Amino acid sequence: MQFKKCTPMWAILCAAIALCPQTSAAQATLAIRGAKVYPISGPPIERGVLILANGKIVAVGQEDKIKIPRGATIEDATGKVVMPGIVDSHSHIGIIANPMAEDSGDANESTGPIQPGLRALDAIDPADPNIRMATAGGVTSANIMPGSGNVMGGQTAYVKLRGNTIEQMLIPGSIGGMKMANGENPKHYGAKDKAPMTRMEEAALARGIYEKAAQYKAKWDAYNKAVTAGDKTAKQPDRDLDLDPVVEVLEGKRVVHNHTHRADDVMTALRLSDEFHYRLVVQHGTESCEIANELAKRHIPVSFTVVDSPGGKLETINTDLGCPARLEKAGIKVAFNTDDPITSSRLIIRQAALAVRGGMSEEAALKGLTIYPAEMLDLGDRIGTLDPGKDADFVVLSGPPFSVYTHVIETWIEGQKVFDRSNPQDLRYATGGFGVGDRFPAEPRGGN
Amino acid sequence: MRALRQFTLLICLASNVLWAQNFAVVADHLYTMSDGTQGGPGMVLIRDGKIEAVRPGPHQQPPDGYTELKAAFVTPGLIDADTTAGISGAYNIPADQDQDEATDPNTADVRTLDSFNPNERLLKVLNQYGVTTVQTAPGPRNPIAGRAGIFKTAATGSTTVEQLAIRQESAMIFNLGDHPKNTYGKKEKAPATRMKTAEIIRHALADAKAYEEKWAKWKTDGSDISKQPTRDMKLDALLPVVDGKLPAIFNAYRADDIDTAIRIGNEFHLRYMLASVTEGYLIADAIRRAGVPCLLGPVMQRFESLETANATLENPAILKRAGIPIALMTGYEDYAPKNRILLFEAAIAAANGLGMEAALRAVTADAAKILAIDDRIGSLAPGKDADIALFDGDPFEYTSHVTAVLVGGQISYQRSK
Repeated sequence: MQFKKCTPMWAILCAAIALCPQTSAAQATLAIRGAKVYPISGPPIERGVLILANGKIVAVGQEDKIKIPRGATIEDATGKVVMPGIVDSHSHIGIIANPMAEDSGDANESTGPIQPGLRALDAIDPADPNIRMATAGGVTSANIMPGSGNVMGGQTAYVKLRGNTIEQMLIPGSIGGMKMANGENPKHYGAKDKAPMTRMEEAALARGIYEKAAQYKAKWDAYNKAVTAGDKTAKQPDRDLDLDPVVEVLEGKRVVHNHTHRADDVMTALRLSDEFHYRLVVQHGTESCEIANELAKRHIPVSFTVVDSPGGKLETINTDLGCPARLEKAGIKVAFNTDDPITSSRLIIRQAALAVRGGMSEEAALKGLTIYPAEMLDLGDRIGTLDPGKDADFVVLSGPPFSVYTHVIETWIEGQKVFDRSNPQDLRYATGGFGVGDRFPAEPRGGN
Repeated sequence: MRALRQFTLLICLASNVLWAQNFAVVADHLYTMSDGTQGGPGMVLIRDGKIEAVRPGPHQQPPDGYTELKAAFVTPGLIDADTTAGISGAYNIPADQDQDEATDPNTADVRTLDSFNPNERLLKVLNQYGVTTVQTAPGPRNPIAGRAGIFKTAATGSTTVEQLAIRQESAMIFNLGDHPKNTYGKKEKAPATRMKTAEIIRHALADAKAYEEKWAKWKTDGSDISKQPTRDMKLDALLPVVDGKLPAIFNAYRADDIDTAIRIGNEFHLRYMLASVTEGYLIADAIRRAGVPCLLGPVMQRFESLETANATLENPAILKRAGIPIALMTGYEDYAPKNRILLFEAAIAAANGLGMEAALRAVTADAAKILAIDDRIGSLAPGKDADIALFDGDPFEYTSHVTAVLVGGQISYQRSK
């Protein structure tokens, strides 16, 4: 066999691969045992074991029922909690950098209300400290979106929170979603005597771009059909970078993430998705529980943002911690997002915990941090639960997920530890003050 | 006619007495925040709006004539040591924003009292989260922003601000750092730099001293009305500040701005405290040496500027450990959430090194002591106002609920089951 002849050469290659930390193929098997494991796909396991190798989950189960492979590195996590890496289905980390300053804000291209050609990935700074703060909160994947200042804000990016370039961050095979917004925010054009000045015009602009994209799609469909039929005279339509992603929306390949708060605005978002038959995630959904039946009958999920007190803007005046619970009762899948910087990614678990305060079940709240947002990003087969074959993205907690006294101890992405609370450099991203370097007083850790 | 009026008065008095309910608050875990061990079982008796007695120990039976209120955890009503709630409304539209008179860098003559809306819905929200008292202060934009007041949060439709006030004028607010220079510098007005902000404040304080001397001299010279000095509302307002009768609150985020506050406070021998204090943990020694109490800004504040970029959740823990008296505040928010919830901010501080009991102390007894209102509120002891918060679990746990709130012995909030 050709292969055998090359054995010494292969040995050298293998050694080289083993030395390279980026290469997951060379990762040893790791077993984390003793923790209470929340697989999410099934009930919690009191003394569980999680086995991972090559960036993937190999096995999950009860400690006494799962055989740890010989040679595996064993990490004891007795007394701790392990859950899937958290998926933030609405974030602006990297695109609104920390600290917020005019120069670093790239979320809103406020020069026109319809911007489908924009890609969040062209503006995300992988060095933004907010990304590391998010891993300190247990976030492993995020939907990083343009802002809500435009009716159609641009293409969103589905990323893992690791890597030095956006290419390393992007989740292979995902094309991201499409950001839309209605209600108050896009009306800012009115102050400049430009459209939209009213909610009516917002809807009209949205309908306009979908009509245009439908016509463009029809031209391409006709052309492709003619080519397939062997027509060599068929004239290829001009490519339109703005309309291509809108066609992806119409074809169901790209989900629309629609910023919408007030119940009537949520209904407008539904009306548009009904008319153009596109897939929709209600983003924020402050008053979505008021029209829960309308969402339920369409199977439309809500990516909810919990804000501590009402107001700040008119469309959030009816903020209510009880809303997620009401959505749950109506059979609607609810995810929890940070809308970072509106709320801090390092406290994303708090979002779900406050929904539990408002009456939601702990089970639904945990799903709202993991599998439900993963599904909303079409990534449910890859992340969101601890099941064999899925990415080894998980979080180690010091205690019960929904206690304020619990801390994220470790965050892992595809088998690599990206946050470790016991490392003082990492701890700063969990608590703050990372900008001051050596001036930070060396403090013994208090609390839990 | 007169008889009718007297009769009406009598009815009113009688009905007041009838309405004044006596309560026995029975707790599994009672945190009085006065001396002694905290968190044991006990009962608080409330009569005529005041705390009548505190009885520690399990299995307490309410005396006859007292309505029983049971709870897992009972604490004094919480005190938000510095907020704009009441003058900065939830809608965040010009109609309900009265926190910043950004037309003049010195508005020492304005008072929170004259903008406070007892029916502001944010006050009701705070009350539902156990906050029974707020020190409401002008916003962060003017170097000399005006006078704060201390108010209860429980209002019915007809309550006046005077009825809510514990102190109509509680402190003079001074703002340092980015806000003043961003407000005026952009309009090509002073201050455009931190140097000018400090100068404006020092100038006004020096003027107030000179003004005081001028008036004193006029009096010793025989109070001739024709030679009476012209009254100046701003300087009048600053007189009790330079006399050390009215505390000065310096709102500062960056460490060097905190240091500027200490420099000015010491120069003019003010009775002063610091607010926000975002980078306080970097100069804890200097703050301790100055012996100045701190009203610490919300730990969940956004990193919305360079001066708040180094905020840490451990700031309250580090300053407390340094021996500095601390209270917690929610300050001013310009977006959603329109007002932070003191209970939530204290919870995050508790979980990040401060600990449950110290965090509770910072929003009750210590806040009352720093604001010099501990004769009335901040702890559960006989004679104090019956301002009490009831919880169904550890007050700071995400999943606990406030089950009832009493202000002055009246139920201001009760959770519907």
